Amino acid sequence: MIAFIGRSIVQKIITLFFVSIVSFAIIHLAPGEPSQVDPLNPKFTPEMVERFRTAFHLDQPLYVQYAYFYRDLFRGSTVSWKDNQPVLKKIWERFLNSLPLFIVGTLITWTISFPVGIRSAIFRGGIYDRSATFISYVLISIPGFFFAYILIILVVTQLEVPVIGMQTFGIGDTAWPFRIMDRLWHMLLPSILGATGGIAVLSRYVRSQMLEVEGQDYVRTARAKGLPWEMVHYKHALRNALLPFVTMFGLILPGLIGGSVIIESIFSWPGMGRMAYEAILSRDYPLILTINFIAAVLVLIGTFVSDVLYVLVDPRIRL
Amino acid sequence: MRKGVFLSTRRFLILVPLVLSLLLLQSYFWVPTYDEQARGNPGRLEEYINASIGDASILNPILSADSASSEIESQVFDGLIDRDENLHFRGRVAQSWEVTEEAFFFVNDAARVPGALGSEPESVLRHLEQKRNDPAALSAPVQKSLQNIRALTLLPPRNYTVTRPRPGSDAKAAAEIRLEVAAPARIKLVLREVDQDLFTHLAEILGADYFTTFQAARHITAAPAVSETDLAALTEALLPAIEQNPVIEFRLRPGVRFHDGRAVGAADVRFTYEAIMDPRNLSPRVADYEPVKEIHILDPLTLRIVYKRLYSPAIGTWAMGILPRHLLNAEALKQEAVRSGKDPAAFSMRQSAFNRAPVGCGPFVFKEWKSDQAIFLDRFEDYWEGPVNYKTYAYRIIPDLLTQEMEFYAGTIDSYGVQPYQVERLAGDPRFQSFSGTSYSYAYIGYNLRRKPFDDPRVRRALAMAIDVNKIIRFVLYNQGERTTGPFLRQTDFYNDAVAPVPFDPQGALRLLAEAGWQPDAEGRLAKNGQRLQFTLISNSGNDIRKSILAITQDAWKQIGIDVRTDLLEWSVFIQERVNKLDFDALVLGWSMGIDPDLYQIWHSSQTGPHQLNFGGYRNPEADDLIIKIRQEYNHDRLVDYCHQLHALIARDQPYTFLYVPKWTAVLDKRIVIRDADAEGRSRYRRITPTKTGNHMFYFNQWIKLAEMPQFSN
Repeated sequence: MIAFIGRSIVQKIITLFFVSIVSFAIIHLAPGEPSQVDPLNPKFTPEMVERFRTAFHLDQPLYVQYAYFYRDLFRGSTVSWKDNQPVLKKIWERFLNSLPLFIVGTLITWTISFPVGIRSAIFRGGIYDRSATFISYVLISIPGFFFAYILIILVVTQLEVPVIGMQTFGIGDTAWPFRIMDRLWHMLLPSILGATGGIAVLSRYVRSQMLEVEGQDYVRTARAKGLPWEMVHYKHALRNALLPFVTMFGLILPGLIGGSVIIESIFSWPGMGRMAYEAILSRDYPLILTINFIAAVLVLIGTFVSDVLYVLVDPRIRL
Repeated sequence: MRKGVFLSTRRFLILVPLVLSLLLLQSYFWVPTYDEQARGNPGRLEEYINASIGDASILNPILSADSASSEIESQVFDGLIDRDENLHFRGRVAQSWEVTEEAFFFVNDAARVPGALGSEPESVLRHLEQKRNDPAALSAPVQKSLQNIRALTLLPPRNYTVTRPRPGSDAKAAAEIRLEVAAPARIKLVLREVDQDLFTHLAEILGADYFTTFQAARHITAAPAVSETDLAALTEALLPAIEQNPVIEFRLRPGVRFHDGRAVGAADVRFTYEAIMDPRNLSPRVADYEPVKEIHILDPLTLRIVYKRLYSPAIGTWAMGILPRHLLNAEALKQEAVRSGKDPAAFSMRQSAFNRAPVGCGPFVFKEWKSDQAIFLDRFEDYWEGPVNYKTYAYRIIPDLLTQEMEFYAGTIDSYGVQPYQVERLAGDPRFQSFSGTSYSYAYIGYNLRRKPFDDPRVRRALAMAIDVNKIIRFVLYNQGERTTGPFLRQTDFYNDAVAPVPFDPQGALRLLAEAGWQPDAEGRLAKNGQRLQFTLISNSGNDIRKSILAITQDAWKQIGIDVRTDLLEWSVFIQERVNKLDFDALVLGWSMGIDPDLYQIWHSSQTGPHQLNFGGYRNPEADDLIIKIRQEYNHDRLVDYCHQLHALIARDQPYTFLYVPKWTAVLDKRIVIRDADAEGRSRYRRITPTKTGNHMFYFNQWIKLAEMPQFSN
């Protein structure tokens, strides 16, 4: 086991190194330059652009820029080109904003998908199963931004309450339970929207896993033994169907930093996804690359965690 | 017992999502609806909430280059001057100002002055004085130039030594040359107002070649010696035959204070200038202030700015917000660097925390900035013009236009920039008042004049005649646009209303093309010498309006037999690969611009290289001359005259097909009105009316929101 962990960590560090090179290359190969360096503003003279280039090390060869960037990153002194703020501080602030949305969204996804999927599997082919399938496909196919607009228009015009942002703007100094509930309310729509796709996919997945397990011999045996219905489905079948999901948990991790560009932009949510998107538009290389690097680290940690979880929950796997 | 456990697994799976959903949904009952918000929170009426699609980046007027930042800066900082209702300058921190000129020329002892006793300095001066006192024999413009002279003085010859980097050597070699300068006598003229024709008029008195034959190189010896051309370049900078230095003298308003209580003085203005010019700050505004020669502080409230050369856009640059010197000077920055544990040597104004918590002397005090959420400003009680009516100003960042609209309906933003397609339905809504005007920009089709067939003005005119611009305005812009015929702002005097738009006339276009040699073949396709008339029209992707224009013009040109292809490119590819490298036939693009009529960078023939803004390659010596004259003219009436000429000239040459100026529409709650005081100090309410140039925000400092919809008599 320890040998596995050691080997895995070494492999992942090598992967990370290549990811850092590739992502650096891709971002610099992409057309366009930072807005400070490539303005279509008559007031910018070539000398000033040149000064910006020097200040940002853009006049150096790529490998030197690479060294500068990762040196700064590991010293924690990378600053955004757009506003000169330390990149890590910016990311941390946004991460804290995206986190509640991510947690509520994940909770909704995982808690709703299971009962829906299990019931579909148990009553396979029934009215319930068929309507659940239908709704799942509707939810998968509906474009997120469109669904978001429909919900916002409905809520704003019918319920007449604000839904945009992290809280009602100018709510002022109302009592704290009101402020907490207000925040919860503002979290509701974006996290539902973030969860719809997940619910649709995950409940399908739960259903197929359950169906696969329900067909196994040991389930038939359990049923033949005359065990209660509940016990057959929820102990013998469900427990075994759960195995793949445990490992999926590790893969949620990268979602922490990704955020959702579309949902966050529509709801003016000051989250990670929106910041990353805007950084890309203004070619704020330090910010993009740092987010990219953290995302890569999280993906690798995620796969590592899921590998380990597999070992822990599945007695058939030995390392 | 066991059975209970299994039951609870199932129940657990069902109960958890149920409880979670209920918990989330019940929060609705705690959230105030809009009516409750306004009733429970009267402070909302004293709060103005503005929405923007993008966040500010850096709240320092000398460093920022984006519109969101400058919008906040305009509330937090005040400049020396700004523009009044008619877009003329008016004083803000400056109470008054005067523009004069100092001009110099070296006495040219080699030239013979007609009618003078000799060519030595005293004779030349006496000759000029004499002409000034008795100008009868001279032409009217020359007389006027002479009357404009306030004083004439003779500056004695001067000997001095300077060192300059050796021309042609790079900075690393650090080779220097010593220059012994024996400057001859110089005559100084103090003028009442700037006169760009001064020396052409003086040449009529002193002789046509008096200024051109001055041999500066004779008065300079270089050690070690350099080539003649290098010496010429050096002497040109050291001893220019003539020099015109406009001078602006600003008198500041007494009693103006920064938000921290310090008085605003001339030293702060000079500091702002020095901060812009400091290369470490990488200010994007260097180009505006480069022509400044020196700034003298005459007394704590008076400031004299001398310019290196005639540059009339310079006056407008003093609308720049004034920075507080005591918070940002070298000493303050050093202390800040030490406090925050950074290297003081590498710490410039760009790194300062000031940029996220600015202090100015404008109507609002900066309070808080939540990135990508909102920026909050509070009213400045000590504002020199008296405190504004609104107590707080909030700038919300809502990146999505539809949600902006929703927030406007929900009452959580006060103003809303209406999309063209919404104008009709919102204008009729009784709850709202709406304003509209033309924006500071225009859209055009630009041609690459280096390529055939665009080098022929007849072809360009024919292309313009084939397009029905009114149709574009009607169907693409939902009538939210106005035609434009030239490069000046529609709402300024500089725009020449006498220039008629190119008519929509496909038959006429065909006739013009035939004149230029393009004849339709059997299938109606235009060709010349067996070569078909074909080219590619490009634009950037992501802009639906430009995309539609592309399709409409393509169709219009196909109708008269031109083979047009279109292409949409991602913005940075479009700019870097095509526009900057001048690799295009024709393109659809727009310019947004300031009020100042300086067109040098977009239309002057010296700006046609790669990465320059005259990418169409327009060259016209006549236009060049006018562009330079506009840059050097300080008199508004003459400026208007030159602009009208230039406008007509560019409209005749048609290097662009000028399409339209977009119109903006803003809606506000009708309860927002203007509150000011009458002569006896009683509050008086009136409706918000736009200024002549369409600016409804001009009286923003007097705006306030009422609890009830007001009724005005008319």
